[in-house]
Amino acid sequence: MRRIAFLLAGLALLAAGCGKSSGAKDAAEHLVIAVDVPVTGSPYVAQTIRQGVALAASNLNGGGGMRVGSKSYELTVKLYDNHLSARRAVQNARRALEAGAVTIVTDGTGVDATWELARREGVSICITYDGGTGLVDAETRPNVFRIAPTNHGIAFRYAEYLIPQKLKVALLADDSAYGREGAADVTRAFASNPEAVALRLTLPAGQTDLTPQMLRARRSGATALLLWGQPPTIAAALSAARSIGWDVPFYTPPTGGDPFIRQQLADHPDWVDGLTFASGRMTAEVGTAPFASFQSQYEAAYGADRVGVKTSDGQAVLQPPEFAMYSYDFVHVLVAAITHAASVEPEKVTAALNEVTTQGANGDERGFNRHSHEGVVDDDVYFARFDDMTFAPVPDDPLSATLPPIQQTRG
Amino acid sequence: MRRLLAAAALALAAPAAAAGAVQQVLLPGPTPYPTPSPPLVTVGPPPWANLPFRIHARSEQRVLAGVDGRGHLVSLRVLQRLLLTGVGDYQFVVSAPVEDVRPGPGSQSQPGLRRGQILWSGFASKRKLLSADAVLRPKPAEPFLPLRLEGDTESGGYTLRLENTTVTSQAAYTGAGFRNELARLLDRTRLESLAGSRLSTAYVELRGLVRATRRTTVAAPLHVEGKLRFPERPKSVVGGTIRGSTVTFSTVLGDERPLNYRLDVRGGGGAPRLHLVARPTAVVRMLVPPGASSWVEAVRRRPLPAKALLQRVLEARMQLVRSDQYQAFLNNPDVAGRNRTVYVYKTAAASPGAATAPSRPRSGDGSGWLMVLLAAGGTVVAAGAALVGWAHS
Repeated sequence: MRRIAFLLAGLALLAAGCGKSSGAKDAAEHLVIAVDVPVTGSPYVAQTIRQGVALAASNLNGGGGMRVGSKSYELTVKLYDNHLSARRAVQNARRALEAGAVTIVTDGTGVDATWELARREGVSICITYDGGTGLVDAETRPNVFRIAPTNHGIAFRYAEYLIPQKLKVALLADDSAYGREGAADVTRAFASNPEAVALRLTLPAGQTDLTPQMLRARRSGATALLLWGQPPTIAAALSAARSIGWDVPFYTPPTGGDPFIRQQLADHPDWVDGLTFASGRMTAEVGTAPFASFQSQYEAAYGADRVGVKTSDGQAVLQPPEFAMYSYDFVHVLVAAITHAASVEPEKVTAALNEVTTQGANGDERGFNRHSHEGVVDDDVYFARFDDMTFAPVPDDPLSATLPPIQQTRG
Repeated sequence: MRRLLAAAALALAAPAAAAGAVQQVLLPGPTPYPTPSPPLVTVGPPPWANLPFRIHARSEQRVLAGVDGRGHLVSLRVLQRLLLTGVGDYQFVVSAPVEDVRPGPGSQSQPGLRRGQILWSGFASKRKLLSADAVLRPKPAEPFLPLRLEGDTESGGYTLRLENTTVTSQAAYTGAGFRNELARLLDRTRLESLAGSRLSTAYVELRGLVRATRRTTVAAPLHVEGKLRFPERPKSVVGGTIRGSTVTFSTVLGDERPLNYRLDVRGGGGAPRLHLVARPTAVVRMLVPPGASSWVEAVRRRPLPAKALLQRVLEARMQLVRSDQYQAFLNNPDVAGRNRTVYVYKTAAASPGAATAPSRPRSGDGSGWLMVLLAAGGTVVAAGAALVGWAHS
């Protein structure tokens, strides 16, 4: 469908060009996509989101942009740094709206404060990282969308995965906003199975020595840790647990896959082994080809995201552009919505986001609807486990078992 | 499509007839259906579907038709339960003139809503229940309900008229069949009908020329049970039974019975509250063997004409196909999946679904929205398959 739209747009451009005696080409107008991310707070997340948006925009512009009515448009990406600060996110939202942005792509920082500002102008916001429950609600926040796994989905998938294994799970979370939100979802997910919970404990974010907390968890009889926290907390907890000789399995949200953890534990690669994280799957049933194609485009444009560690046989480890995929997909959904609305008016485009589906970079269908503004359904949450600094889908979960591993090394 | 099939049949038959050869001709069923809807089809973006072959879906539906005192449709709601079995991804839409949809009881996933579409997407791990409670716009869906009601409150009484609205016509054919084989086909059709299973594909052997006959009227047999609750105890009733202030009735519309039913009540003290359940049902009467326990035995006892047997098997199977068609008011993404639909008509105030309908009005959802009689993909495929099968027979 999208190809047809591009083809028609291309033909329309061609026809318009032929009609002019001077042969002069229409100057394309610019449609602004604002990217509000924590460039200085969480550089990896900021970079991957920005590059995903930029890659999609570049592909579209390289193909001649898009034709809406009698005008042609190219996408322009404007970057704003929110420093992981809600106040800065509000300032950025105001600036983006003044710049005429048709949408704001964000990691999720400050959305509780920015969505109303954007809504007044009919502008959509798309979160492509934070899975916080309550950030997205199709009825109360009709202009907020998300393409990223939700905390709710991850928590319930973990309950579904861990409880049948008869593990005694210590539910740990750090005291960051991310940790607190995740802890609330995990508590709900395990509420019906208190026998599966050995301990609930909050960890101080930013503390490098979590040995006392790990000793306490071990004393509680825990046979598994589900830790919801920022990458430094996970690295510190892993380090503490392994230092006291506790080889307990760790389960984490997507932050467990952050390169930071492997970088911190590069001297003890075996400590990372067995770390399991949950995230949105990067491949669909059609196989790895769509994602591999996206990854090669991404690497051609920006280079591979190197983790900075090596496998035991000396191969450099790469980070697959998972979150770049989400922002890349959103731009495609946005373009489909503009085509569907036959307008670039933000309000019409936002409404049309409910009515379109595109094929995502991983081969899955990507889109929203009037009842759900979540672009990653809970069923798409899979589990991956580290071994030798790279991860692969776990074999003991029905969905994960169907997924092929993604290539993560380069010689 | 039907004309095409008939023409193809005659074209194929001609050389065979010249040789006086015996040929196998496809009998009706399990598909194609004689009309494109039901299941409901709507205008909208092309539905995308991904139900891999290893996932199967069983559909159970309860259609709740709210009617006013005169029997006119005022609201429509469908509870569809899709039970998926198998492992893998699923992504599909169910087309309908849907106003709103919510998860139904026990649903293990949330239905999405777009203009004219209920969306389902996720991963099935062996078993998954998708349950949708959908409020539909009555006007575009009404022509595809199987029953029309008309209630009249006259001085001193009440009359209810029911009409089976599944009637359509279909091209049939005739030819020189073989009595014993036709009897076996009738027995097999009867067995499948009584078991409530979908017809399996069957061929009949005919010698010589196959001729198209005039179109045959076909209707899905409907089993109807009703209850009318009056303000006072009625004095008398024709067509039902009085129990206190309630009149009950039960009938089958079709299957060699009339397609209309009339209930006359005297007294009752005013308009009743109606509760009526209609189910597409099996063909029974038409397939009862005359004076024997089976058609094979009946043919053994007396020489029933082969032409009449052929006509009977064709018409019975057409009725069963029509009945099967009404078992899926909303589409089942698994074309081979089992479908069951119960149609419930109840006295209701206008738009009882308003409680669950969104409060915001939606532009572009006007009542002039059109239903399009497009052949469903499965129908087309099945028709094509039938033609190919015929051509290779």
